Amino acid sequence: MKLRSALLPTLILGLLATPFAAQAEGDWKKGRVYFRMVCTACHTEKAGGAIAPTTKTMAEWKAYIAADKHAKGKDSLKYYVSKKYRESIKATNKAAAKFIDDDEAALLEDITAFMIKGAKDGDSPAKCN
Amino acid sequence: MAVQLTSGYARLLFAAVMTLTMAILSAQAQAGASTADHTTFKELQQPFESGPAVTQACLKCHTEAAHQVMKTPHWTWEFLNPATQQKLGKQHVLNNFCISVESNYAFCTTCHAGYGWKDHSFDFTKQENVDCLVCHDTTGKYRKQPGTGGLPPLKAIEWPPGSGKIVRPVDLQKVAQNVGKTSRDTCGACHFFGGGGDGVKHGDMDSSLAAPEANIDIHMDATGLDFICSSCHQASGHRVPGSRYAPTARDDKGKLMRGKESGRNPATCQSCHGTDPHKSTRLNSHADKIACQTCHIPKYARGGVPTKMGWDWSTAGQKGPDGKPLIKKDAKGHVIYDAKKGDFIVAENVVPEYKWFNGTVSYTLLGAKIDNSKVVPINAFEGGPDDGKSLIWPVKVMRGKQPYDPVNKTLVKPHTAGDDSTAYWKNFGWEKAIAAGMAETGLPFSGKVDFVETEMAWPITHMVAAKDESLGCVDCHGANSRLAGLPGIYMPGHSASRLLDTAGWGLAALCLVGVIGHGGIRILAARKGSEK
Repeated sequence: MKLRSALLPTLILGLLATPFAAQAEGDWKKGRVYFRMVCTACHTEKAGGAIAPTTKTMAEWKAYIAADKHAKGKDSLKYYVSKKYRESIKATNKAAAKFIDDDEAALLEDITAFMIKGAKDGDSPAKCN
Repeated sequence: MAVQLTSGYARLLFAAVMTLTMAILSAQAQAGASTADHTTFKELQQPFESGPAVTQACLKCHTEAAHQVMKTPHWTWEFLNPATQQKLGKQHVLNNFCISVESNYAFCTTCHAGYGWKDHSFDFTKQENVDCLVCHDTTGKYRKQPGTGGLPPLKAIEWPPGSGKIVRPVDLQKVAQNVGKTSRDTCGACHFFGGGGDGVKHGDMDSSLAAPEANIDIHMDATGLDFICSSCHQASGHRVPGSRYAPTARDDKGKLMRGKESGRNPATCQSCHGTDPHKSTRLNSHADKIACQTCHIPKYARGGVPTKMGWDWSTAGQKGPDGKPLIKKDAKGHVIYDAKKGDFIVAENVVPEYKWFNGTVSYTLLGAKIDNSKVVPINAFEGGPDDGKSLIWPVKVMRGKQPYDPVNKTLVKPHTAGDDSTAYWKNFGWEKAIAAGMAETGLPFSGKVDFVETEMAWPITHMVAAKDESLGCVDCHGANSRLAGLPGIYMPGHSASRLLDTAGWGLAALCLVGVIGHGGIRILAARKGSEK
């Protein structure tokens, strides 16, 4: 009985932890392509200039992405990684078209990996200029 | 001790196992198409105290890898040119960028595929000195620290000293567990930064090729074909084809089946596209005299990264009003003067120069007598219109002014990089720096220093544009032909001869007069005939 009572929470905890423990770090190369060709391209054209990973520290990027606020909270950051958004721009954006079938959470992980790697205090600060 | 699980527990356990399995499979799928997950290898599940320790672990499975690498120029930095019998390679040649490797090993060998090459005592026979990670890292977090002979930083350091910038240590275990095939990033870590900075040397290779769009390179387009370097430079046994010391200027052999051992260079355009790639036979006929690159790379340095076109060492050493070594930048923030190096000319979107080239490059090596009254060709591209081997190639011509020995009439190798009392970048004294550099070469130095103009040619072969952005007829056949001045060609539309044109138009005019006159007489004669 003791074993049974101990096994249940262990299994539940294991189940909850599994996706995080087994999750590989995002594919920073894919994230780089999406960031440059979707995020930066749009910012350059419509939002007043290029953006770059070096504008924030790793901690700042993590906090920014977790907060899920885009354009100073006007909309959701995740929307710009969503399939709906990719679908809406795929005709004119080759990166959105290329990654059209990618899982949203995985793609966000990829972008996050690139931002963290290229952050001001990251392993390879990336100016994207 | 047997544990009887209820059906509820069994289902839960099954679900947990399946979730774990799917998560691992998903993670592996994300990791790419590799057939091996290096995180599972016991040899790599340890903290590594050095790069060579990682190599020793790699060699337990990849037993022949180091032997293979040791036979290549990536390791030896030597190349014997079969056509000229000149001993080339980074160890031996000079250039008109940072000039030479010798006496500056600890810095230049940041780009050596090895660990610890600081001076002549480096052991080229020790397998663990081979650096596997520099080419096979997939994390993008591996780097080698300048000044150490190619060692990765294993603790946080400030670099450059006094800059306040902290270089993070490399987690060797993590990098070792995430090795994979080479990429544009791994090759580019050195080849994009040749000459001391991004895009400096080649002109057609810079960091914009790491994830380029189609307009920068149609083959490497990250959202299109997405070629990596080895898609063309297909290696075998770690031997990477496509040397610029002995380029394949002309390939008449057509398509090459990938993987076929033919001894041919698989990196030529023809090895994929064949010798008649156009629908138009007229365009195909151009390939008899013109390299594909001439039309298909209309400009180089197109990715927003400027390349150095000129470097004048003779002006180095100036100090600013604050007494510190002077640095000047242009409006875009590109350095155009550095007290350590002199004046630079940088440029983007550069139209190439064009040369007849048969693949043979003749170097002016250390010790060769030079004529200081002329521009010294550091690497002369051989070829001409009549040798049957040459094609017209696009080239970047780097123009420099660099130190030489006016008494011995030879180029020199200065000791530039380092923190010692003779390094030029530390002490700004040419005589001391050149004496130290030449002492390492074992060749004489008179103690006198002057500067001579030099030229180097670099074949342009990357940054291939989309076909609708390649050159049009008028680019060569128009009045402002790109090929103007090139010997041995008559270019319809451009190569006009006034005498020939006058004679031709004169003949045409005479013909017209004759036709009109003849026609007029016939008409008059016909009228007279009808009147009768």
